[in-house]
Amino acid sequence: MMASYHPLVKRLLDGEVSLAELPPELQAEGEEALRLVGAADRAPVALSPALEERVMTAVRSHAASPGNRAWRWLNTPREVELRLRVRPWTVWAGALAAAAGLALLLVGRPASGPGPGSEARGGTRDSVFVRFVLYAPGARRVAVAGTFNQWDRSAAPLVPAGTSGVWTTTLALPVGQHQYAFVVDGARWVVDPAAPAVDDGFGRRNSVVAVTAQGAQL
Amino acid sequence: MGVPLGFEGEATDAEVVRAVLAGDVERYAVLVRRYRDRYARYASRMLGSRDVAEDAVQDALVRAFDRLADCREPDKFAGWLFLILRNRCYAERRRRQRQERPLDSTDEMFAAPDRPDGAYEQVERAHALERALQHLTPEQREVFVLKHMEGLAYEEIAGVTGATVASLKMRMHRAYDRLRELMKEHL
Repeated sequence: MMASYHPLVKRLLDGEVSLAELPPELQAEGEEALRLVGAADRAPVALSPALEERVMTAVRSHAASPGNRAWRWLNTPREVELRLRVRPWTVWAGALAAAAGLALLLVGRPASGPGPGSEARGGTRDSVFVRFVLYAPGARRVAVAGTFNQWDRSAAPLVPAGTSGVWTTTLALPVGQHQYAFVVDGARWVVDPAAPAVDDGFGRRNSVVAVTAQGAQL
Repeated sequence: MGVPLGFEGEATDAEVVRAVLAGDVERYAVLVRRYRDRYARYASRMLGSRDVAEDAVQDALVRAFDRLADCREPDKFAGWLFLILRNRCYAERRRRQRQERPLDSTDEMFAAPDRPDGAYEQVERAHALERALQHLTPEQREVFVLKHMEGLAYEEIAGVTGATVASLKMRMHRAYDRLRELMKEHL
């Protein structure tokens, strides 16, 4: 069995020292090691021109499948413009009814105190207000990004609750299961310590909240 | 309605990703053209076969489309796609090992072009290295491919693989010794 390369020769291969910097007794070993890495073929590898069409054929097929379409429909945020023709008295009546409903909800479901985690409150029939809370003392800014806002790091900032290090925001999320994570100082992704997490398949963890018409389940 | 885009070359990855997510599926071809060959060399060296690598790149691109809504940072689509391809390459190696079908670097990918007579040894050495790479552990092979074939620094490799620079160096140094042993006839 051949001996291992001298540590200095390994540093030569790593590009940390030059051949000239090796002592004379390691020159030959260094030259041999350079021949080894010099044999690495760096030529580009071209794949079949048909690959693009094969990928796009599969992509179109997946995009057209009912399940995929439904998932994308649920997952894609959109702007909705409503045009209503109303009589003024109906607006006031509606506002009073909404206020009464909100009061009932708040009485029936008191909010918990601040702390890590998320909680849900009533919203509309198709969406539920979910409160996101993160204890992040020292953070300059915190946001929550997830499948509900296309992982946009600036779409849903949290606001500090005083000087306690607690950050919070409330979002109206559509019914369904959502994955999310907090973004601290615009760069650091943090899972919700109070929520279950799943592997995103690429070595990172996402928190999960399941929103039903009755509320959110962590 | 899709996100308005300029010419293909001007659209950033993030713009294309958002357009695709908004329903403009055909825009995905921009990303396919942009990355299909960029990662071909990595996949080929990791898998030891251009044909198997082509399947891996194709699967990775389709899988990336399926999970595009999970792409947290669309402006870093390239790195995200690389992770998908990397997982795919590792999975393929494991699958081959279970089936006891070792990947062999014998296809035309490694057929060297005609060289002057004096370069014969270099060609032989290059073939020997390709074969020897397949005898390293996947982790050792990956760090060698990324550093000495893709030209990445240790810090960049750490960024895409999640490993520390110290552990990458340890893998690499073991790879140097193993390659020296495997290639002793050609050095």
